Amino acid sequence: MDIIKTIDMQQLYEERLGRYQAAIALEPTDRMPLAMGSNCFSEVYSGASIQEVTYDPERWLQVEMAFSRDYPEVDVARAYRIWPPLWDVLDLKTYRAPGRDLPPCSQVQFVEEEYMKNDEYNLLIENPGQFMLERVLPRIFGEMSKDSARSHFAFLKAGLAQGILKDQMRSIGTQLQTQCGIPGPYMGAFRAPFDVLADGLRGLKGSLLDTYRQGDKVLEACDVLVTIAARGALANADPLKRLPIFNPLHKACFMSPKQFDTYFWPSYKKLLEIIIGSGYKVRAYLEGDWSKHWHHFLELPKGTVLCDIDNQSDIFQAKAEIGHHQCISGGIQDSMLILGTPQEITARTKLLCETVGKDGGFLINGGCSIPYDTKPENFKAMVEGVMKYGWYDKSIKHKPKQMPPVKNEIPGLGPQGMITPWEIKKAELGGVLGDEQLIRNPWERIEAMAYNWVCSWH
Amino acid sequence: MQALAEALRDLDEQKVYQLVEEKVKQGIMATEIIAELNEGMVAVGELFAQGTYFLSELIYSGEVLTNVMNQLEPLLKGAAAGKSCGTVIIGTVRGDIHDIGKNIVISLLRGSGFEVIDLGVDVPTEAFAAKVKETGAKLVGLCALLNFTYPEMKNIIADMAAQGVRDDVSVIIGGAPCNEQVRQFAGADFYASDAVVAVNICKNVYKC
Repeated sequence: MDIIKTIDMQQLYEERLGRYQAAIALEPTDRMPLAMGSNCFSEVYSGASIQEVTYDPERWLQVEMAFSRDYPEVDVARAYRIWPPLWDVLDLKTYRAPGRDLPPCSQVQFVEEEYMKNDEYNLLIENPGQFMLERVLPRIFGEMSKDSARSHFAFLKAGLAQGILKDQMRSIGTQLQTQCGIPGPYMGAFRAPFDVLADGLRGLKGSLLDTYRQGDKVLEACDVLVTIAARGALANADPLKRLPIFNPLHKACFMSPKQFDTYFWPSYKKLLEIIIGSGYKVRAYLEGDWSKHWHHFLELPKGTVLCDIDNQSDIFQAKAEIGHHQCISGGIQDSMLILGTPQEITARTKLLCETVGKDGGFLINGGCSIPYDTKPENFKAMVEGVMKYGWYDKSIKHKPKQMPPVKNEIPGLGPQGMITPWEIKKAELGGVLGDEQLIRNPWERIEAMAYNWVCSWH
Repeated sequence: MQALAEALRDLDEQKVYQLVEEKVKQGIMATEIIAELNEGMVAVGELFAQGTYFLSELIYSGEVLTNVMNQLEPLLKGAAAGKSCGTVIIGTVRGDIHDIGKNIVISLLRGSGFEVIDLGVDVPTEAFAAKVKETGAKLVGLCALLNFTYPEMKNIIADMAAQGVRDDVSVIIGGAPCNEQVRQFAGADFYASDAVVAVNICKNVYKC
């Protein structure tokens, strides 16, 4: 019985994954996939608080499994990727967490400050890892301001916590795959270089003022951040390349087309080309109104960037302008999911299936996400609407795509940054007596992991 | 339009500082300089409404204005204050700590001659009604970025009614998750789809 169940789950997993992959690639599907990238509603399904699911991975898994059982039509699960205990051991200042310093029913929120000063660009450009360790981390890790025993201990705990988080992510992914037959929407994440600068280092105001006052430095910094962002993304992506990499985009909606074209797009395009060139797809969460910028996605290979369209943009305009080249997702206002009626949702779903979704390449969604406070009857109406109006060709049987070939060299990817390159360590050791590679390879592997971790706090 | 207003409109930061310095040296009253800057900010708002400027230009002009106002503040002491268009109370509602949109609206309002009381972010429900009672302001702006704040907007307006001040004020909601449907749910008077719309609503309410 269990074996049969396992086979069924594997089959279901492959069918769902294949459907999702085909939609992203703009290939025919049997029906419109139900593949919301950020299904917050599923996180708090059956009454869990946001604090419970954020702090307790077991609770998260229980809730996701209950959700998947009750909504078997939904093709992808919510991605598990945030665990505040990692922040707590460092006393991280950049996030507030539900149940800790926000109400238990609130969501994680970013605290934006100028963690990098306006005269520190050269330090970032010349040696990004050193800059993070010496300037930025002491400003954002409260534990570093304590005595040295506590500060060192905090780094040890953070390294261990990072390992726990990665194990939890793997375990949750495996259990959802084997017990519910459901893939995640993406694995790993990265941000555009300008967003790295503007979110975690200079803040929105600082970074925008810098574009007017020291634009050359902004461009240089963004160029340096391309390889760092790419290496961070590839290090945590799906090793089998089944799932896209998540790419939340935060600050472009504040920029004029001229500013975007000058300061945001060039380095972002280089980064996307590296990610796509290495065999991955991207799920880009286009926060705010991107209608003046999204035409740039036409410059990338067809069917490589799934674009989540936010509430402030018009999904019909997105379909007309980029929908023939990239898959798009969205179409239902968050306010309608939270405040509207099932009748309104059904009518909207029908309209979307008959228009933007008519020829595929479209995934129904809220404005980039399904809100936590979505009325259950509204979510149900959306799912039922797709199952009624979202069919294309029932004869299509989906299977996952073949994994793209592994490349030894990824075009455009710069060298891995290091704090202590092997040559320095070797000189400190005064040479080695045996096989150097046996010592050098793990040294560099751990060095790279630590370097990417340090740079992940941008 | 005079040179200073034009320089601010055109986002020529150094020229703005230079012209202000010259005017101060010439002994021109601070209130007069501010009036000219206000004219420049109104022009920035118009360019935004036309789609020529984007939010980054609003943020930049707001920053330049704030720098000049800080410089002029000592000169304003003892001088007769310029005529205020009226007082606006504004804050990001409880549970939400985002303030970028709120700050853009504040700098445009100040640039248009309003007095603004900024309650900050994650503002307790009762703080809005209490501030209305204290100041007699006729306008309250509720800001949010996150969509779980709809019930809180409704709570704030219900609290104003319970405190007996609801009929004395107009309530505007604004921020990414807001729209007409949310306005109706919360029971607010206006929904501002962007910062310039918010300023125009304030001008209409105060008839200035």
